[in-house]
Amino acid sequence: MECRGLKFYLSIYRKILIQDLKSKMSYRADFVISTIGMIMTNVAGFITFMILFHNFPTINGWDYYHMLFLYGFSLVALTPVQCFFDNNWNLRFMVQSGDFIKYCFRPINVFFYFMSEVFDVKGLGQLMFGLGTLVYAWYHIGVPVTFLTIMQALIFLFTASLFMIAIMNFAAATCFWIQGSGYVMVIMFRFKDFAKYPASIFSGIFKIIFTFVIPIAFVAYYPSLVLLSPDEVPLLSWLSPLIGLVFFFLSYKFWMLGVRKYDFTGS
Amino acid sequence: MSIRKFLALTRAGIMESLHYRLGIAVTLFANLIYLVLVYFLWKAVYASSGVDVVNGMTFTDTMIYLILATALFNFLEMFVVWDMSRSIQSGKIILDLLKPMDFRTYTFWSYSGSHVVQFVLTFIPTFIVVMIVTGGAIPMGLNLLYFVVSTLLALIVNFGIEMLVATLCLYTESTWGINIVKETIVLLLSGASIPLAFFPEKVREVISYLPFRAVYDIPLSVLLGKAGSDSLEGLLKLWGLQLAWAVVLTVAGIIFWNISVKKITVNGG
Repeated sequence: MECRGLKFYLSIYRKILIQDLKSKMSYRADFVISTIGMIMTNVAGFITFMILFHNFPTINGWDYYHMLFLYGFSLVALTPVQCFFDNNWNLRFMVQSGDFIKYCFRPINVFFYFMSEVFDVKGLGQLMFGLGTLVYAWYHIGVPVTFLTIMQALIFLFTASLFMIAIMNFAAATCFWIQGSGYVMVIMFRFKDFAKYPASIFSGIFKIIFTFVIPIAFVAYYPSLVLLSPDEVPLLSWLSPLIGLVFFFLSYKFWMLGVRKYDFTGS
Repeated sequence: MSIRKFLALTRAGIMESLHYRLGIAVTLFANLIYLVLVYFLWKAVYASSGVDVVNGMTFTDTMIYLILATALFNFLEMFVVWDMSRSIQSGKIILDLLKPMDFRTYTFWSYSGSHVVQFVLTFIPTFIVVMIVTGGAIPMGLNLLYFVVSTLLALIVNFGIEMLVATLCLYTESTWGINIVKETIVLLLSGASIPLAFFPEKVREVISYLPFRAVYDIPLSVLLGKAGSDSLEGLLKLWGLQLAWAVVLTVAGIIFWNISVKKITVNGG
């Protein structure tokens, strides 16, 4: 496949996005109910969090506001996967029914074309919720507001989101090999709920597993340490952008490997 | 005679579920990872609090409760809402409605096979692992039998909730939205995300009368001998609550379905 410019892909993305939003607008009730549902999952997650703190004032040396910071950070970091990569959830149905073949016949990148087809507006509600939480905690902890900290926040939020996207790409692509693999995605999506807790609670082999195999420690903990404890940032935090890119790249390769395997069976 | 046709549906369901063996293995494996996550989180939580018992729950109790709640979730999970909306969209629902069996009964029994498979292949292994990890902290006695009874009642309550929500699909195409609202409410108020014992007193009082508790909290409390289930009177009270909700939800579901099905519009099929 020939490599085309970023500009070309951006213009295509815009065109497909407009079509997707148009078709969504025709189901207005669906949009309203889905948005309510999304807000409710966030509220329920928040209630769970409050109940936990109602019973236990600190967790592993992390107080309320620091935990809230992690929580908000993870919510914002989960927004890109929700907004831009939501079509992963449809992958297994399309592969099973054979509809997936249509993506292979276009002269553009299959991964890009597939993902561009759905933009999930509901994710924006989560973004608002997460940003609110993050700003509130930021203010109470007293992290300074400078150009440097804002830039750090942006870069490391972006980094954190790469990890979640990679996890979901891997999970979704299993459907090319395993029938009835929907549960892999469901369970991976549930694991993300643990991203909002400090990864320092893990020990031994599991610390390694949750850092490098199922990298939920990178979805909030390591990237946010750059802002929370600027005096003693672990090396892994500084390296996280690089590791994030590697994870994303590997997940993309794995996904494309699945596509190639799909071509071979050609059903 | 009639039980035989039901069992035929169960058998078909078992065979269909067994087709996805790898999926079951993955579920089991995921449950084990989940167990590890819950273990570390709550170990840290209890270590920070400095006390062993919080709201009558020890660390081991909490862990058993949450892991088995997840295992129960896999076992009870029905995709009635999804299947319903898909068969409305494709028109297949017409064929189901024409079957010489009541639609509700047919749906219930066609899911029964997958319940059996999930119970044997995911719930029991998870249960055994939890037992080994916690060093036999689950009391072994008549409570196991009570737990099975409670789980069967939970199954009926859960089916009642599912069918009520699935009927809503006849009115709107918003399956994802409706399903996520249902799942969020059920998981939060049933104690599957955080044990009900940790909820503030007043909230807990209200929740204890709602049907959601009957799905996860009551079976697990019965298993662990909590919430007064160690006395016969307390046990009967919990069962009574489950039974009452099972009846109410079933009756409400049948009425709602009978009204709604007349309004059904199917495009194509």
